[in-house]
Formats: sequence, structure tokens, C-alpha cells
Amino acid sequence: MSELPPKTSVRRWLVTTNHKDVGILYTVTALFFLIMGGMLALLIRLQMWEPGAQVLSGIAYNEAVTTHGLIMVFWFLSPFGFGFANYFVPLQIGADDLAFPRLNALSYWMFALSGILMGISYFQGGTLSTGWTMYAPLNVPMYTPSLGSTGAILALAMFVIGITASTVNFLTTIHHSRAEGMGLMDMPLFTWSMLATVYMMLFAFAALLAVALILLSDRILGSIYFSATEGGALLWGHLFWFFGHPEVYIVFFPALGVMLELFQSFSGNRLVGRKWVIIAICLISIQSFLVWTHHMFLTTINLEVKTLMMATSIGISLPFDLVVFSLIYTLIKGRIRFTTPFLFAFGALLLFILGGITGVFLGAIVLDYEFRGTYWVVAHFHYVMFGGATALFGGAYYWFPKMSGKMYDEFLGKVHFVVFFIGFNAVYFSMFLAWETPRRVFDYDPAFQSMHRFGTIGAFVLGLSFFIMFYNFAKSYVSGPDAPDNPWEYTRTAEWAVPSPPPLENWGGRPSYASGKLEFVSEALTTPDDDHDGPAAATDGGHGEDHIESYPYWDKHASHASIWPFALSLATGIFFFGLSGVASSFDITTAETLAGTGITVSNPVYPIFTAIGLVGLIWTAVKWGLEDFYAPPMEIAERWPFEGVEKVKLGMWFFLASDVIVFGAFISAAVFIRVAAGWYTWEPLTDSLPGLINTFVLLTSSFTVILALVYARRKSRAGLIANLVATMLLGFTFLSIKLWEWHHEIYDVGVTLTQNSHGDPVQATIYYVTTGLHGIHVVIGLLIAGFLLVRAWNGAYQEDSRPVEYFGLYWHFVDIVWVILFPLFYLF
Amino acid sequence: MIASVLLQQTDGLRAQAEIFNEIFSVFLGLGTLIGIIVVSYMLWNAYKYRDDGSEPKESFDPPVLGELPTGKGGPKAKKLFLSFGLSAIVVISLVVYAYGLLLVVEEGPEAPGVESADMEVEVVGYQFGWEFQYPNGVTTQNTLYVPEDSAIELRVTSRDVWHTFGVPDLRIKSDSIPGQYSETWFTTEGGLDAGEEQTYEIECFELCGSGHSYMNGEIVVMDDTEFNDWYDEQAAALEEENDSGAASGNATATGNATAEGEA
Repeated sequence: MSELPPKTSVRRWLVTTNHKDVGILYTVTALFFLIMGGMLALLIRLQMWEPGAQVLSGIAYNEAVTTHGLIMVFWFLSPFGFGFANYFVPLQIGADDLAFPRLNALSYWMFALSGILMGISYFQGGTLSTGWTMYAPLNVPMYTPSLGSTGAILALAMFVIGITASTVNFLTTIHHSRAEGMGLMDMPLFTWSMLATVYMMLFAFAALLAVALILLSDRILGSIYFSATEGGALLWGHLFWFFGHPEVYIVFFPALGVMLELFQSFSGNRLVGRKWVIIAICLISIQSFLVWTHHMFLTTINLEVKTLMMATSIGISLPFDLVVFSLIYTLIKGRIRFTTPFLFAFGALLLFILGGITGVFLGAIVLDYEFRGTYWVVAHFHYVMFGGATALFGGAYYWFPKMSGKMYDEFLGKVHFVVFFIGFNAVYFSMFLAWETPRRVFDYDPAFQSMHRFGTIGAFVLGLSFFIMFYNFAKSYVSGPDAPDNPWEYTRTAEWAVPSPPPLENWGGRPSYASGKLEFVSEALTTPDDDHDGPAAATDGGHGEDHIESYPYWDKHASHASIWPFALSLATGIFFFGLSGVASSFDITTAETLAGTGITVSNPVYPIFTAIGLVGLIWTAVKWGLEDFYAPPMEIAERWPFEGVEKVKLGMWFFLASDVIVFGAFISAAVFIRVAAGWYTWEPLTDSLPGLINTFVLLTSSFTVILALVYARRKSRAGLIANLVATMLLGFTFLSIKLWEWHHEIYDVGVTLTQNSHGDPVQATIYYVTTGLHGIHVVIGLLIAGFLLVRAWNGAYQEDSRPVEYFGLYWHFVDIVWVILFPLFYLF
Repeated sequence: MIASVLLQQTDGLRAQAEIFNEIFSVFLGLGTLIGIIVVSYMLWNAYKYRDDGSEPKESFDPPVLGELPTGKGGPKAKKLFLSFGLSAIVVISLVVYAYGLLLVVEEGPEAPGVESADMEVEVVGYQFGWEFQYPNGVTTQNTLYVPEDSAIELRVTSRDVWHTFGVPDLRIKSDSIPGQYSETWFTTEGGLDAGEEQTYEIECFELCGSGHSYMNGEIVVMDDTEFNDWYDEQAAALEEENDSGAASGNATATGNATAEGEA
């Protein structure tokens, strides 16, 4: 653990794990990506100035369209919302920090560095040019061969890794660290929106991770999922939109949360029908996973499914109606102050109403048939997603005084809103009027030229408006008046009860709502700054005592700095950069036997990066594991419904839930393609015996992992070591049998990743990739087991056996997956 | 609304453009109306309850910092449920109405009481163009010739990547996906004079590569007799080509073999 340097030091921003610092990093970086995505948008609009204009070539235009979409959706909208979430969710629920501060920093660095990989992809022979929806099979190397295309997808995968860490973190924080007296229903609505957002993210982004991994396997290893005519293209559609539709709400909900806060703060009224709004938000989160085929109404999906999805799609407008009406009725009989934050929130609601109404059009299948692939869709989702983001700018003005400690310039803020609102409607409403233009086409019908020109001018006005905001914030940060703790009159949430900006550890005393309103309880325990020596503090009514017993370092000071999140992300970035070109650097000449197979390396640069990245990844992960970083769980907190569950265990369960979706997507892909190919036309590729033996091997290893935990709890070093060794040996046995089986299939039977002497080649692809993903899980498990073994050898885990337990959870999960894969690939 | 659904099922085959125009006007009319009502109500209340600096009314009870949030019940909550109920009625009727029209579009020329399609054409998308395969084996590139006054069924697929076949003026569209066949249909009007042609532009609606913007085609509607002449002519030409094609195909094969032998 290292000390946290001052804010003026660059090193501070590389090592900080404090949620407020990370929140600022997120916000600033997201605004940087707003500029990047915005520049691309302006290029697109210039190309639309006249039909068939050639500002960009056809392929460059496609690249601009693709990266504009990807950057805005992934690298701007969500991270901008997450910047505020990082800063204010812990403050709103009365926590000291997020549950896993280092993991939080890791999420940020994965996001920031993946954005840089995305930028680099432009210089790797051109980036992805498939549109942000990346439809198959245009996304396979046969049609988009550039290294940059692979680089862009790797960047996306890296981003998703960061998101997964972030969702686990927020879910654990919100469920584990709420101040005393704050039940789930008592949480402020911004936090509620974020909770719904991260629940959706946990499952939706897992599906995106799975589909990105399959695509990367197609692009790097040469498997043939998405080029398969046995439903490969449709498979992409289903998996992508299973993620893609919840994603719309994922980017909208943080903005909705801001609206819900700001409508209350600037009208002086409490939210109307608060309970029902929360129920509506939960309903939308669930229903968002049941509407995805409305993006695929024109494919060959049957009428029954389409009708069902039409009903759910139009039906999802109902909970939104309730939220919108609630917002409007909240204004009534209030004292509404039209400050900049409220103007943006109010404008956002206006834009969202328009986006919502035009969305109902798209839900009706017959209308969707016509709107599909036109500017109606483009206009609609900009009104919804960017219209929503309008509220986030309101949030930026609302929280700027808290985050910076300075007041912004109100006049400039209002000017920004007016210019923004005019520009916004000029560019996107003109798209409704020119809706018959096909999307992503620049050689359009000249009849729409005046509309598109009008839109282009609007786009430049819109872009300009942000420079007013940047100037305002920069000027105010340097020379603005100091902000009071609570510059707004009718705020309710706890972030306004602490200084602007809040101190490093947020609170002067332990925040508690036990009496029904916020109070700060002074206890030595919660102010470690003042008190380094008092075990007496542990006597606060019995609540926290168990916890304190189980933390041997209970009186230590919480850590706020670690370089390893940055280092681990950097290693991942280098590794992924190497991977983007590795496929084109090797030339593998196949032969009859493994020994005869030759590898020629044509270009060593990418393989070297891959190797350095991989070594760095393992090294930084080990350093991370060894670092003495102390992030204590709150002793007294509301944890419903996870009262009895320890913090890291809860995080582990959330992570495994997302991994279930990853494997679920792989297994669904296998089943989907097999059904498309004709289920009974496939026989198992392999003998069932090696698979059966492996099943027993893995099940036995699950047993030894339990024994390891039992011995660790008995403080038996020898027993722990023996059982870890046994687990690892069983793991290696599993891998050896697996490798033997692959070798046998490849060299004796003639089944490779792309060839199948028995039948359908895609069957071979599915077999290798799915069992390969499971194999990678086993390898990662073995690496962790090796780490535990070395530490156990040195005497660790005698006092605290929990790391062994959490490793066990992971290992059991990997075993259970195998129990599902075994019948799928060996029996039927 | 329900009555109009019932009517459509009995009154023969309606063009997709006609159905689209009806449902679009209904949605647009209703959407505009609801939009104007909601937005004006919102703006009016925002104006009415603005903070004008006057003394707050006694009933005004703002939240205080640090309170545990509570919702607001009372008359406002009743209003909330009333508006929610109204919107539910609108939304559910729209689903039912849209479903009725969907059935008409889905069944197309196969609907009971309508004579079956006059011609079925297979459409194959490729980078960057459209191939049309007629029942007699004739193929054309980028231009689909059809006779007047008939119902045409299209089975759309792709040879390489995902495209979307669309004819804006006919309001028809269908995804063109490798390995999949999706179907759509259209009708042509009668009453063309000899030599007269009617054309509709075909566009691609799914990003399919560098030439996506230029992936256009045409549907040409011809006078009946002219179409038949053209169709027979093409068939004859095709037969001729096949005869000589078999010979030249052999020649090519031999050529390849030689080339390989030399290599």
C-alpha cells in the first residue's frame, strides 16, 4: 500500500482508488470521447451535405459511422453516467467508498485504455467498418480483413471486461454498504436508477462479452461461427440484440436518475408515486430482456414470436409513461427554478417524450418493416439516447459545485442550454422529416437534400454548444466563486450534507438514518483519522463485532492508492494490441503429425507485444494479489437481502452470475446452430469415454477443493497444501486428457477448427471453441490455485480461509459448466 | 378500429403501401395529438408553478436535506394512475390494431379469398447488387422485370453478407441474409399502354460494405404482352447459352487441368 499523493501530482491520478477521484477521471475521459465521437459525427454530417459527396471514401464513411456509434454508446454515454455514479452513489447511500476500490480503478483504466486501443485501430489498416451493430458475416475477416477491425473488437472486449468489474462492484456496494436505516426503498432515485442499470449491465454485457469472444475466435483463431450459413448471421443478430436492447435502457437510466433527482430539487416537491416509479424502473429492467427481436422483425423469425415481441415492445412504453407522468406531476404546485441543471433535465424530458412516441411507431411491426434501416430509426434513438444524455449534462451542472468546489457561470450555462436545444432539434428533427433516406447511405435521394443540409448546420451548432460548457467549466474551476456545501435549496440527498468537495473519506462521523433522517454518529471507529489506537470503539452495540473479529487488521487505516489497477489494465491493453495482429503474423503449415507442423513468423512485432502483455498480465495480477490493500467493509450497514453474506463472497456470486450468461450464450450458440443445421443430422464428434473420465476427474477436484477449505478452517497447513496440490493435479489431468483428445481429433480423425471429416465443419468449430473457453477457465483456475498454494506454503490462510472458499466457488462453477458441456458434446 | 381490421380481411389484397399509409397516419395523428397534449401540459405547468420570488403558500412543504425519501400521495397520485390507465388503453388498442394489419401483410397473396401469387422470384443480394432468379431459370442483375396487374412474391436471400432489400415507393422490405429465405410481396397496377413502363427504385437498407451507398436497383413494370415476349426471349437465350455453356464448361475444366499439370 502506498500513500495517496496530492491532487496536483500526476501520480495521484494513476494510483488513486478513491471513488471521487475515479468519478472525476470517468467524467473527464468520457467528455474527451464525446469530442472524439462528435468529430466523427460532424464528418458524417459533412458527407450528407449533398447526395454522393466524397468528403470520405465509401469505406472511410463506413468506418466513421461505425466508430461514431461505438464511441458514443460505449465510451461516452455509459462512462459519463458512471462518472456521476462513482462519485455520488457512495455519498447518497452513506458509504465510505465502493466495495472494491482497486477493482473500481481497474474498471476505469480498462475503459480509458480500451478507448485508446479503439483509436489505435484506425492506424492498423483501417478500423471496423460494419456499423456499430457489427452484423455477421460482414464482421468476419473475409469481408473486413483489416487488423484494425480486429483491434476495434478487442477494444470492445476490453471495455466489457472493465464494465463487468464495475457492475460487480456497484451491485456489491449498493447491497452491502448502505448506511444504517437506509432500506432499499429509501435509496435516492439516482442510486435506484444506477442499481437497475448495473443489474441490466451484469447480464446484458455478459452476452456482449460472449458474442465478442466468439467473434474474436472467428477473427483470430479462424473459427467459422458467423460465416456459417447454418444460422450464423441470425445468431449474431440474436446475441447482439439480447445485449443491444437492454443497452438502450442501460445508457438511458443514469440520465433518468438525474432527471428524477433534479425535478425534485428544483421544484421543491417530492416525487409523485415514488414507490410506483421504482416498481416501473424494475419492470423495465426485466422487460428489456424480452423485446430484442423487434430489431429483427424483417428476418425469418416466425409470426408468433414477432407478435409477442411487438406486444412487449409497445408494452414497455407503459412503465415509461408512468415515470414521465410522475415527473410532470411532481412539478405541479412546486416552486420551479429554471437554473441550468433544471433546464437540461426539463429539456431532456421533452426530447425523451418525442423519442418515446416515435419509438412506439417502431414497435408496430408493419411500420417497422418500413422504418427499418432508415433515418426514422436514427432520429428516434438519438432522441432517446442523446436526449437522455441531455439530463446528464444537467447532472454535470448540478454536481459541478460539489465535485470542483466552485460555482459555474449561470449565464453561460443558460446560453449553452439554448444553443444545445436548438442545435439538437435542428439535426435530429430534420432526420424525421427526411426519414425515407436509408441509414448509413450518403448517396441519397436529392429530394431530401435541403433537410439534410439543415441537419448538418444543426449538427455544427450542437457541437459548438459544448465548447460553451467546456469554457464555462474551465473558467469556473480556475476563477469561479467557491461553492457552498449545498448551493441548491431543496436538495435531500446526503452528498449535499458534506463539504464541497467532500473530504477523502467523505464523512465526519458515521452517517446513519436510524432516526428517520440523516445524522452523523461520532464514534471513534468510523473516524480512523483521529483515532489509531482504540479497540474500545468495537463496542458499538454488538452489530459489528463478528465482522471485526474476522478482520485481523481491523484497526488499520483504509487504503486509497494502488498502482496495480493501472498496471494490470496496461498489460491487458498491450496483450490485446498484440492479439489484434497475431493472426496475420503467423503462418501455420499443417502436416500429418504435430511434430511436422511448421510455424513461420512473418512479422514478430505483434507476437512480441502479445507475449509481453501476457507476462505483464500474470505479473501484475500476482502483485495485485500480494498487495496489502485494506478496504474494510462497513461495520454497520443495511444489507437486505444479503445480510449474512460477506462482501467478497457477494461480489463473487455476482461475478459468477455474469459468467453463467457468458457460458449460456456459448451454449445457446451451439444449440441454435445445431437446430438450424438440423439437430439429428449431427452425431457427437468424439468418443464419449475421455469426456466421461474428465467428468469424474473434475467432480473429484470439486471435492478436494472443499477439503482444502475444511483443512484451512482447521488451521492445518499440511492438509490445505495437500488438497490444493490434489486439486491442481486433477486439473492438470483434465487438461492433459483434453489435449490428448484434441491431438487425436486433429491428427488421427481429421477434425480441425474449420474442417470436419464427418460432416458439418461448423460443428467442429463449436466443439473446439466452447470446450476451449471452458479449458481457459480451468487454466485460470489453476493459476489462482498455484497462487494460493505458494501463499499457503508460506503460511497464509490459517487465520482467514476466505480466499480458499472464494476460489472454491469459482472452481465448482467451472465444474458445473463441464457437467453441462459433457452431454452436449459427448453424448447427444 | 376493429371494424376496419375486419373489413381488410375480406376486401381482397391491399398493397403494402396502402396498409402502411393507413397505419402510419393513425400512429402519426395519435402520436402528434398525444405529444402536443403532454408537452403543452408540461410547459404550462412549468410556467404556472415557476418560482417568481413571491412568498411560498402555506401548503408548500419542501423536502429537507437528509430526510429519508417518501413519495407524494394524495390527489396527484390519483391523477398519476388515471393518466397511466388512459395511456394503457391507448397502447393496448394500438397493439391490437397493429396486429390486425400485420396479419394482412404477413399472409399476402396466400391469404384466403385472394388468388395466389402470379409469379415468385428469388432475390439474391451480393456485394454490391441484386440478382433476380425467375421461375424459368432466367436471371437478371439489378433490374427486376415484372408484368402489370399481378401479385409478385419475393424470396430474399444473400450470397455473402447481410443486406436488406427494400423498395421505398412500394413500401416493401426484406432482410437478405445468407442461408435464410425471407419473404415479401407486392402488387403491380394494371392499365399500362404498350411500350409504357413503370419503375421503382430498389435500395439496400443494411450496411454491407464499401459500396453500400451505391447498391441500387430497379423494378420495371411492363405491359403484359411485352413482359411475356421478354420473358420467352430470355428463356430461349438461356437455353442456347446452356447448350454452348456445357461445351465451354468442359473446355474450362480441361484448361484448368492443363494449367495445374504445368504448375
